[in-house]
Amino acid sequence: MQIKQITNEKLGESVFCARHGSGLEIRVMPKTGYSSAYAVFGVKYGSIDTAVKNENGEFETIPEGTAHFLEHKLFESEDLNAFERFAKTGASANAYTSFEKTAYLFKGSENIGESLEILLDFVQSPYFTQETVEKEQGIIGQEIRMYQDLPDWQVMFNLLRALYSVHPVRIDIAGTQESIAKIDADLLYKLYKNFYNPANMVLCVVGAIEPQEVFDIVDRCIKEADAKLAERKFEKESGKPVQSYIEEQLSVAQKQFLLGFKEELDEPLLSLEDEIASEIVLEALCGKSSPLFKRLLDEELIDMGFGSEMFNGFGFSCVMLGGTSADPEKTSEIIKSEIAKAQADGIDPVAFERAKRKFYGRYVMCYNDIDDIANIMMNLYFNGYEPFAELEACKNLTIEKAQERLNVLKAENSALSVITPIA
Amino acid sequence: MPNVRMIADGVRLVSEQTDRFKTGRITVSMALPMDEKMAANSLLIFLLKRSCKEYPDFSLLNGKLDELYGASLSASVSKSGEAQVLSLSLTFLDDRFALADESIAEQCAKLLVSMIFSPNCKNNSFGSENLAAEKRLLIQRIEEELNDKRTYAFNRCISYMCANEAYGKDKYGTVEEIGNVKMADVYSAWKNLLSTAIFQITVVGSSSADDVADIFAKKFEKIERTPVKPETVFYRRGGHFNRFEEKFPVSQGKLVIGFRSGMSNSKDNLAAVTVMNDIFGMGTYSKLFMNVREKLSLAYYCWSRLIASKGLVLVESGIDTDKEKKVSVEVLAQLSDLRNGKTDPEVLDSSKRSLKERHTFTTPEGICAWYASQVLEDEILTVEELNAEIEKVTMEQVCEAAKKLLIDTIFMLSAEGEEGAENAD
Repeated sequence: MQIKQITNEKLGESVFCARHGSGLEIRVMPKTGYSSAYAVFGVKYGSIDTAVKNENGEFETIPEGTAHFLEHKLFESEDLNAFERFAKTGASANAYTSFEKTAYLFKGSENIGESLEILLDFVQSPYFTQETVEKEQGIIGQEIRMYQDLPDWQVMFNLLRALYSVHPVRIDIAGTQESIAKIDADLLYKLYKNFYNPANMVLCVVGAIEPQEVFDIVDRCIKEADAKLAERKFEKESGKPVQSYIEEQLSVAQKQFLLGFKEELDEPLLSLEDEIASEIVLEALCGKSSPLFKRLLDEELIDMGFGSEMFNGFGFSCVMLGGTSADPEKTSEIIKSEIAKAQADGIDPVAFERAKRKFYGRYVMCYNDIDDIANIMMNLYFNGYEPFAELEACKNLTIEKAQERLNVLKAENSALSVITPIA
Repeated sequence: MPNVRMIADGVRLVSEQTDRFKTGRITVSMALPMDEKMAANSLLIFLLKRSCKEYPDFSLLNGKLDELYGASLSASVSKSGEAQVLSLSLTFLDDRFALADESIAEQCAKLLVSMIFSPNCKNNSFGSENLAAEKRLLIQRIEEELNDKRTYAFNRCISYMCANEAYGKDKYGTVEEIGNVKMADVYSAWKNLLSTAIFQITVVGSSSADDVADIFAKKFEKIERTPVKPETVFYRRGGHFNRFEEKFPVSQGKLVIGFRSGMSNSKDNLAAVTVMNDIFGMGTYSKLFMNVREKLSLAYYCWSRLIASKGLVLVESGIDTDKEKKVSVEVLAQLSDLRNGKTDPEVLDSSKRSLKERHTFTTPEGICAWYASQVLEDEILTVEELNAEIEKVTMEQVCEAAKKLLIDTIFMLSAEGEEGAENAD
């Protein structure tokens, strides 16, 4: 394998990148002074993958929640399951599924090489039976019910359903009780084969390990395969939401709300520069030091939990703002008029510089935590970027770019999601 | 190894100097007894976080934090045994990464000192608008505990279990008490805090903590200190238990089973109790994970938590309401196996390895939290010391610790309209 070293002088960190013959990308950041390492083995397969391409080149629909179901099931094997194997090295292992990926990970301070071998091995060794699939339906069923009672989760998915008509970002990551009931062992094997190709995966390791050791382990443990990328279906949507208001009653103390602005995309992915510009412009406009935050707080319309987020991925992009409010409609109107004002008058340059400085600081701070670093490296790779790209994009951001991103937000493309207390 | 020094009467500074992080962190922990002043104390810490003399407005203070490269300030109220602990923490970028030549660490230490010792106060008043705003936010914060049913059920179990103990009180005080707090109460809470609270300043970062020690020591020189150390009562109840139930319109029920661990103080048999709790319900090799989740697929989560500062163990699980009995019976059956030595010896080794791993901190926040949680301990326990004790724990000691674990209270948050046929008998 050819190894490329990428260094960020200011940060004092280097990443060693290589591509294995199977197509697997490997990125390693050794950290001096650390006694632990964190490794994440990621697959470009998430909840938005609700279709797979068949031999005839047509997309075939699959049940909702398969990526998450597979994540649960891969820990199992014919003899010792992955948890039992990690228990012998002392590493703490876990996994998660998001909209766009599935990630298997461990953190360990002893026997790191051995843990890495276990990680690579169990993810490459699917073992499903009808009995274990049924057992998992019970466990995941409880996981789904747990999320159904969480207002933060519900307010977000309701908003996504109000904004998106066909894009699968509107469905719950774990699927539904009904959709997971359609999953069987054969389907899992078929999907495993489609998505878990090394060319569709990345391994990121950070911490107390030498890059060469990682590359050697990969050489030993990754099975050769024909590199084959799993194609993702681009569900193009207009900027118009399905509905401008959505409400649900739950057992909560106060109303919760989330205001979303949908963006129409011509290409499936937003550039990193655009994404960061949106984050920073949101911070300048409604962060804790902004006049808007103060006004909403003084008018008793929000609490300290009020915040904003740029939410984007393959085929979807929107801005979300929300929290708890006695009057979500009024709060939303104030936010919209503040956005319109900043679009007309221009962003306050002092607020922009302050927000940029804050983001720069926060990005650097992420390089403390081996867990954060590995996940950032994985996300950058999946979106086609080199390590440290986010720091450079942040440093080079101009107010003109930020203004351009602010102007994308349109009131007619917005929707309001509200959770109200059950009377 | 941490550097530990006393910088004033009842004021300890614990620091760990390391340059492996890109941030530094300072936590100031202030412990007070759980008495009638709890509500005023809670409001005080949020008022101190809101503004200070130097930055006398919420937006100005937050603007300053943004300029300090997004330094992150947090205030919290927690219980440590039967003490109310107020904390202010700042995480900030290490000086090496500043874009200009400036000391972020020093500015942050000064900012914290300014918030604690020079609040935004005129004529003994924090400003009636500020107090009203913080009252609203705190009451909302308490009411919103209902939104997360897992945490709500956990807290309810403790409040029922410790109804006759100080520990049963809400950490912030009640909504009613908060509503009744007057400005004079908050002002006297501030005076009381400076003179009587047990302080611990925990510092983790690349620079020496000497400057931080000096800055704080100078402020304390001007204060007459009469520290009051809160004490915690440890009960060893048993023989009977109570069950409480509340119904909510939810899809998943939450079961919480409260046990007394038999500990007589926060360090009593700590290593053995820690391992016992871990094998019972913490790790993926634990009895609850292996059986309630993996074998019977009754739950997505079923775990146990040890609260050493009060000697409690709580088992939590999200389940179908009609499975309460089935799950409770299984939890107790697993405890019985643990008591009777029916545990694979390999699990003991797994537990020791895993605990050691969890005691390896990779962030300044992790290190800081470990020391800060010991604000009321006479001696600072390092992770290395605890790990060495854990290493020596035998299966017999685990069984003995499990035998002392006595069930006290069951709290069930039930889904409305899902009466359990399976629970009947």
